[in-house]
This record gives sequence, structure tokens and C-alpha cells, in this order.
Amino acid sequence: MTEAALKTLIEITAGVTLAVPVGRLDFEASTGFQQAIEQAIAGAGASAVVVDCAQLEYVSSAGLRVFLIGARAAKQANVRFSVCGLVEAVRRVFVVSGFDKLIVEHPDRAAALAALQ
Amino acid sequence: MSELRAANTDLPTLNRELNHAWEASGLSPEGLFPFELALEEVFVNAITHGAQAGETRQFQMAFSHSGARAMLVLRDDAPAFDPLSLASPDVDATLEDRAVGGLGIHLVRELMDDVTYRRVDGYNELTLSKHID
Repeated sequence: MTEAALKTLIEITAGVTLAVPVGRLDFEASTGFQQAIEQAIAGAGASAVVVDCAQLEYVSSAGLRVFLIGARAAKQANVRFSVCGLVEAVRRVFVVSGFDKLIVEHPDRAAALAALQ
Repeated sequence: MSELRAANTDLPTLNRELNHAWEASGLSPEGLFPFELALEEVFVNAITHGAQAGETRQFQMAFSHSGARAMLVLRDDAPAFDPLSLASPDVDATLEDRAVGGLGIHLVRELMDDVTYRRVDGYNELTLSKHID
């Protein structure tokens, strides 16, 4: 594969850092995604990190692990952490893993941003 | 049964092959996700457990379907290990107490209708099946 399966776009607006993973979050992609999430949490001035999963097509246990690490790191750093826009298959993985009880979830980006106001 | 040299970089190849087989089967595209996930989880486990540096693991995949029932057989020549013997992770644990590992096989069991393990001819063999709507 010459092209990465996952790109994570970062958007910063008014104290909120949006991390937008686009593609497939598999074993190979999980290391890069972890770096992106950790940077988003550590980023200057961020009081909240929202992972917008609307363009995330696939996640495995290696990817879930990063969400868990991210949620913990955010809590330690006093940064609010949430996810939004989970497609059905990805949401099923979250629920089966019990992650819906560990990580705040919103239906879409607008709802996630509104909840931070 | 397709046989491919097992290294982490070969997962995309295996996944492409699974996608092609799924397309050819005519099964609903929405049903593919749990099979892609199972392939990845089992493959990664086989590669990361017990492989010495420079060693090549054999990993074999066979996909079939009978009507709406899809079946994936995965074989690897890692040391004998029945992943179904693992206890399920505590999915009610708090954020602090939640274990970081052990989720893969749990996901596979939950997302499939049926998973069986056997050790045969020096291979770990997992047979996974699911009815596709």
C-alpha cells in the first residue's frame, strides 16, 4: 500500500480541537492516530478535544485502544474529550466494547460543539 | 484456500482478497465489516504472539458462503493457543481500571454468530460464521 489508510485532520476553533480521522483505523494506522490524538490533547490552549468520526469507516481493537488512551490522557490533562458522528459499524464496535459508557458521545459535530458551550 | 506469507504489511493484501471474495459472493456490502475485523484481529494476534525475529508465520484464509451464511476460516502456525479460552474483558470497568488489551477476540466473538477453534496439523484454526441479512 502506497497510500496511508488513515489521515487525521486537525482543526482548531475557539479552544476546541477537532480531530477528524478519515479512512480506516486498523492496526497499522493506530500508531499515527495515537500521535495525532496525543498532540491534539497536549496542544496549546486546548480545553476540549472532539474526535469527529463521521469519515471513519472502520475501527479494530488497535484503534479502540487509542480512544481509551486518549480519554485517559485528556482526563489527566483536564481536557474535555468526546467523540461524535460514529457510523453504524463503528458505533457497534464502541458499544460491544463498553466504550459508550467510558467516552462521551454526540450524534454529530454540531451537537458536540454545542455541548461545550 | 489462499496462502500468504505472514508479515504485518500483508494485512492489506489479505483484506483486499477478502473484499474481492465478498463482492463475488453477492452478499450485502454492509455485512463485510465484522469479517474484516475478525481477519485483522486474528492476523495481528498470530503475528505478534510467539514469532521470533526473522521467522515467517504461515497464515491462511478461506472465505465461503452458503446462501446468506458467510464463513471465514483462518489458520496460522503460531504455537497452539485457543483465543476462546480467554476471559472476556470487563466492559463495565471505569476509565481508569479499564484494561487496554484483550478486546480483539471479544469483539470477534460478539460480532460473529459462531466462532470455533481447533488445533489441526500444527495450525491454529478459527472458523467464524455469520448470517448476513
